[in-house]
Amino acid sequence: MGVIDLDRLEVRLGARTVLDGLTGELQGNAIGLLGPNGAGKSTLINTLLGFHSPSKGTARVFGLDAHRDRAQIRGAIGYMPENDSFIGNMTGVRFVRYMAELAGLPSGEALERAHEALFYVGLGEVRYRKVSTYSLGMKQLIKLAQALAHGPKLLILDEPTNGMDPIARQRMIQLVKEIRKEGSVRLLISSHLLRDIDETCDEVLILKNGRIAALCNIEAERRSNRSFMELETVGATEKFSVSIRGLGCECACFPGGRIKLVIPDHIEVRDLYVIASEQGVQIRRMNQRRDSLEDIFLRAMDSPMDNEAGRPTHVSL
Amino acid sequence: MSVYKNTYRAYTGPITPLWMRVYALARYGFAEAWSSKITVALFTLSLLPFLVFLVGIYLANNPIAQILVLKSVAHPLTVDASFFLIVLQIQSWIALILTAWVAPRLISFDLADNALPTLLSHPISRVGYVFGKFMAMFTSLSAVTWVPCLVLFAYQCYSSQQPWAAAHFSIAAGVFAGAVIWIAFLSILGLALSSWVKWRVVATGIIFAAVFVPAGVGAIVSAVLRTKWGLLLNMPVTMSILWQRLLGTPEFMHDAASLPTAAIVTVLVVACLLCVAMLNARIRAREVVRG
Repeated sequence: MGVIDLDRLEVRLGARTVLDGLTGELQGNAIGLLGPNGAGKSTLINTLLGFHSPSKGTARVFGLDAHRDRAQIRGAIGYMPENDSFIGNMTGVRFVRYMAELAGLPSGEALERAHEALFYVGLGEVRYRKVSTYSLGMKQLIKLAQALAHGPKLLILDEPTNGMDPIARQRMIQLVKEIRKEGSVRLLISSHLLRDIDETCDEVLILKNGRIAALCNIEAERRSNRSFMELETVGATEKFSVSIRGLGCECACFPGGRIKLVIPDHIEVRDLYVIASEQGVQIRRMNQRRDSLEDIFLRAMDSPMDNEAGRPTHVSL
Repeated sequence: MSVYKNTYRAYTGPITPLWMRVYALARYGFAEAWSSKITVALFTLSLLPFLVFLVGIYLANNPIAQILVLKSVAHPLTVDASFFLIVLQIQSWIALILTAWVAPRLISFDLADNALPTLLSHPISRVGYVFGKFMAMFTSLSAVTWVPCLVLFAYQCYSSQQPWAAAHFSIAAGVFAGAVIWIAFLSILGLALSSWVKWRVVATGIIFAAVFVPAGVGAIVSAVLRTKWGLLLNMPVTMSILWQRLLGTPEFMHDAASLPTAAIVTVLVVACLLCVAMLNARIRAREVVRG
C-alpha cells in the first residue's frame, strides 16, 4: 500500500475536467508534485483533503478513500496551504493551539505542542504577537507550525517557499529535510521550483494538463548509469532528432537547436556525427552529463500524452 | 519536538472524539465574542432592565415596600404573563444588538484572512464548523435572553406568598420557547449575513437592515395590496404575536389583522433555510467554480 494511491482519478470543476484519469501509486517518503500552472496540482491536493469529490475513479491516502473517509484522513494530515490562510486577530500560539485542538489534541497537549511547534519553526520569540503583524516569511512558517503541531502522518506543503527570501527559503528547506529525516512523517510537496523538489524529495509526480506526465523515483534515476548527452546543433535539428530516435535514442528538442538525449549502450558517439554529416547538421557543442530533475521535468513536458491511460507515451524514466 | 532541543517529534498522546472539535470551535468562538469590550458593555446594558424587573418583582411581593414606594400608583404591580412578555421583548431586542456585534466577529475574522482552507483541512466538516459557531452565538445570546428571564421567574416563585410556580409554569415554558426560537433565528441570520461580508462594521449594519428593511417592505405591500400578509415580513410584529401566543397574553392586534401561527412559523423556517443556503454557498475551503 502506497502513501497515495490514484486509480483513474477524474475531477471535474464545473464543465472543466481538471484531473483526467490519474493512475499511480506514490510510495516515497517525500513526494514532489510538479507541473506548470493549471496542471492540476492544487486540485489533486484538494481532492486528497476531501474538498473536491472525484467524478470518476478513486484517490486513497494510507488506504482510506479520500472522499468517504475524509475525516479520518484529515486527522492524519497536516496541510500548509499555498496562499495566506490564518486568523490574523489571534496570537501565533493561540492560532496553532486552536488548529491542534481541531486536529484532535486535548487542550493541554495542544498548548504544549503549539509552543514546541513555534520554537521548532523559529517563531518562538514572536509567538505572542498577533499573526496579522507577521512578515510574509513568518506567515509561511506559522502555516507550517500549525500543520506540524498535531504530529501528522502526512504533511502536505503547497508552495512552501512562496514569497520567501533566500535565507528564509533555505531555512524552510532545512526544516523540511529535518522532518523527512525524522521518518515519522511522509511529505507531499507541491512547488513550481524544481530546486526545492530536487533538494527535498525522493519521488516526483509531474502533472501536465491534468494528467500524469511522469512518476518516478528521483534517487533511482540518479543512480542509474545512463548516458545523458546535451548537444547544440545548427541546421535541420528536427530531422536530425528524428533520425537519432531511429537509432534507439530517447531525445527531447529545445529552442536554439539544443537536444538532450539518452544514448543506449550499443550506440557510439561517432554514429551521431555520421548522421549529422549525412543531414548537413553541425554539432557545435557536446556535453555528457548526469540526469537532473530539470531534465526529467523538461522531458515530461515535451512528451505527448496517451489519452486513454493518462500516462506519458514517449517518456521512459 | 522540544522547546529546548528544537527537534521534531511525533505526537503519540490521546486524541479527542470528533464531537470535541465542534466544542473547540464553539469555545474559541465564544472566547472571541467575549474578548471585545463592547460585548461586555452590551451584556452589562442587558442587565439594567433585568435589575429593574428584579426590583419590580420584589415590590410586587412585598406589600409594605409597595405602599412605601408605589403609594401614588393607581394600579398595584402584578407579576403575570404580561409582565414576562415585556421582559422577554426587551431582552430579545438587546439580543438583536448583541447579534449585530458578535456574529461578524465569529465569521469575518476567518474570512478576512482566508482561514477556511486551514480550518476545514482538519477533521471538521462544514456543518460542524457552522454548528460550532452557532453554538457560540446561541450561548452568548442565551446569557441575555432566556437565562435572565428564567432567573426572574425563579425569583418570583421564591418571593410569591402563594404557590405561584405550579400555576404559572406555562409562563416559564413560553418564555423559554419564545427566547430559544428568537435567538436560534438571530444566530443563523447573523452567521449567514456575516459570511458574505468581510468588513465587520458593514456586517453589523446589514444584520439590522435584514430585520427592519423587510418590515418597511411589508408595510408597503400591506398598504398597496390592502392585505394583512405583508406583516409576515415584519419580524418585530410577527415575533411579538408569537411571544404573546406562547405566553398566553391578550393579543395587541385586532382579529382581522392577526396572523396565523402556522404562517409565522413558515416564514421563520423559510428565512432559516435561506440562511442555511447562504452559509452553504459561502463556507467552503475553496471557491466554487461555475461554468
